[in-house]
Amino acid sequence: MNSKNIKAIFSKEIVGAIRDKRTLITMIVVPLIFYPLLFIGMGYFSQFGSKQSEEFISNVVISGEKIPLQIIDYFESEEMINLIYSEENINEKLKTGEIQAIINIYPQFKEKIEQGETSQILLEYDATETKSRVAEKRIMKILEIYKREIISLRLNKFNLQEEYILPVTIEAKNVASSEKVTGTFLGFLLPYLIILLVFSGAMHTAIDITAGEKERGTIATLLVSQVSRLEIVLGKCMAVITISLTSMILGLFGVSVSLLSGNAIAHNQGFEALKVGVSINSILLLFLILLPLVVLISSILIIIGIFARTMREASSYVTPIYMLTIFLGIISISQGIELSGKLFFIPILNSSFVFKEILIGKINWNHILFTTLANSLFAGIALIGASRLFNRESVLFRN
Amino acid sequence: MIKVNGLTKIFYDNKRGKVAAINNLNFHCQKGKIFGLLGPNGAGKTTTLRILATMMQPTCGTAEVNGIDVVNNPDEARKQIGFLSGETGLYDRFTPRETLKFFGKINGMENKIIDKKMSEIFQVLDMENFKDVRVGKLSTGMKQKLSIGRCILHDPTVLILDEPTVGLDIITARTVTEYVKKCKEQGKCVIYSTHIMSEAEKLCDDIGIIHRGKLLAIGTIKELQKHSSLKDLEEIFFDLIERSGAINE
Repeated sequence: MNSKNIKAIFSKEIVGAIRDKRTLITMIVVPLIFYPLLFIGMGYFSQFGSKQSEEFISNVVISGEKIPLQIIDYFESEEMINLIYSEENINEKLKTGEIQAIINIYPQFKEKIEQGETSQILLEYDATETKSRVAEKRIMKILEIYKREIISLRLNKFNLQEEYILPVTIEAKNVASSEKVTGTFLGFLLPYLIILLVFSGAMHTAIDITAGEKERGTIATLLVSQVSRLEIVLGKCMAVITISLTSMILGLFGVSVSLLSGNAIAHNQGFEALKVGVSINSILLLFLILLPLVVLISSILIIIGIFARTMREASSYVTPIYMLTIFLGIISISQGIELSGKLFFIPILNSSFVFKEILIGKINWNHILFTTLANSLFAGIALIGASRLFNRESVLFRN
Repeated sequence: MIKVNGLTKIFYDNKRGKVAAINNLNFHCQKGKIFGLLGPNGAGKTTTLRILATMMQPTCGTAEVNGIDVVNNPDEARKQIGFLSGETGLYDRFTPRETLKFFGKINGMENKIIDKKMSEIFQVLDMENFKDVRVGKLSTGMKQKLSIGRCILHDPTVLILDEPTVGLDIITARTVTEYVKKCKEQGKCVIYSTHIMSEAEKLCDDIGIIHRGKLLAIGTIKELQKHSSLKDLEEIFFDLIERSGAINE
């Protein structure tokens, strides 16, 4: 095996990939421009939407007999509610969004309140409409105040304070550090993202330099040169790994920038104190585990590319594998699933779980060792498989 | 030189079962000679040349390039061979200069020698004007010149050329055939497959007429004329094809 030949093939593939607009789009434009725009856009529109709903004055219909004046006063004094007393087809209007909620005061409401009994109010709203949900919150807040006032009045009759029916107050305090919060958040998101980025980054290049070469007839030119089949496979595989890792790093950078920026969607979910608590050691460890996985993914894609007659055929073979990757990724981010035993031999799943453990600071060396060994073994087998396939004329000259 | 003995390649086809693409071929070509492999499409020319170029393995029989067995020692055999065919494409995203540099490297050549050979090729094949233009933007003729350059870069002693003038305009086709003659003068051994009779007549010292995987006749043009009592190569070709068809049926 001649390392100069591997280097020459590798350099040729990298230069070819950089000069290919499609690779540039997948590797640079998508992660550095599209992802941030997507995340920032989602954050912006989500904020914009909720702000619009918050600023909207809710049209609320109140219906019933002998409505206590106190209730009416409360609602009338709320600026964000426009109280409507009589309206036709109110149920239809609630459905179409003309009104946001209906307060139905049950019969004998006032009498029951005065007699110290339980009265009923039916609040109708549309949970699928943001504005209706906002109206429901506003109404509930006012009715809660009204309810407490009635309770207070009833207790006063017996010279009792409100504390009498509130024997215990409970305060929950979250002790998780912002690093841990970040770690858990990243542990949830990153493993899935890393694997998808690795796969999508490798996909186009792997197909282009195998099935693409067959389609363009350049593979025969390579085969009659003095470079061995194994050198060709290794050079190509190294190029796919490089492109895939670069694409992943740029993708993570793009996503991180979006998440850390003020308008990002994470901001809305309460991650104002998003601090990156991942140490350099953790990052190095991630790469150590990632490497055999990238070799495996690249080799599988190269096998598919060599086998296929054309790029289109290769793409159709890759699609189910991509779906499988997404499926394994989804399993790995599902809450409550723990990895054990034979599951460590499932390539994508094992790495994803170990990534999650590292990101939340639960480093388990046995898991890391099993995962790395299993993935290295599979990567080796796939690499040998790719090299063997390159020797099969029935595959290379498949018509 | 090239020696082919009993070369046979059998493919398995789902519909037809076992199919012999070439069947018991025997021929040889000395250095400084051009051996023409003449036959219609599907005759077995490309399969023969693919085996000689180590891209395929024969089912049985042997082929030697300068005494090196192409099956047992393909890496060494490839050092002796320059292969050009319709399927040896070029990289559109590279310039001719980059293409030749890449193939020089993977053929184990030193940078200085690559540069020297490149200059010679650019001059001889009149490529100076487009040596730094990406291949994707070149005409068919320019690409074929580059393919020839790629084929002869490592100074092979044996050239295997599979229909090198197909799809070329008359001027570029002439450049190619003139260059093949020059290679012959330099003492290279050339296997030249074609279905253009006039080309074979002008270029080849020996001709093998191949049809349905079998060599129907082999010899110099004079020998073929004498044997068939016909003057024109095209007539000889069709006569042989018809007779073989009659025999086969």
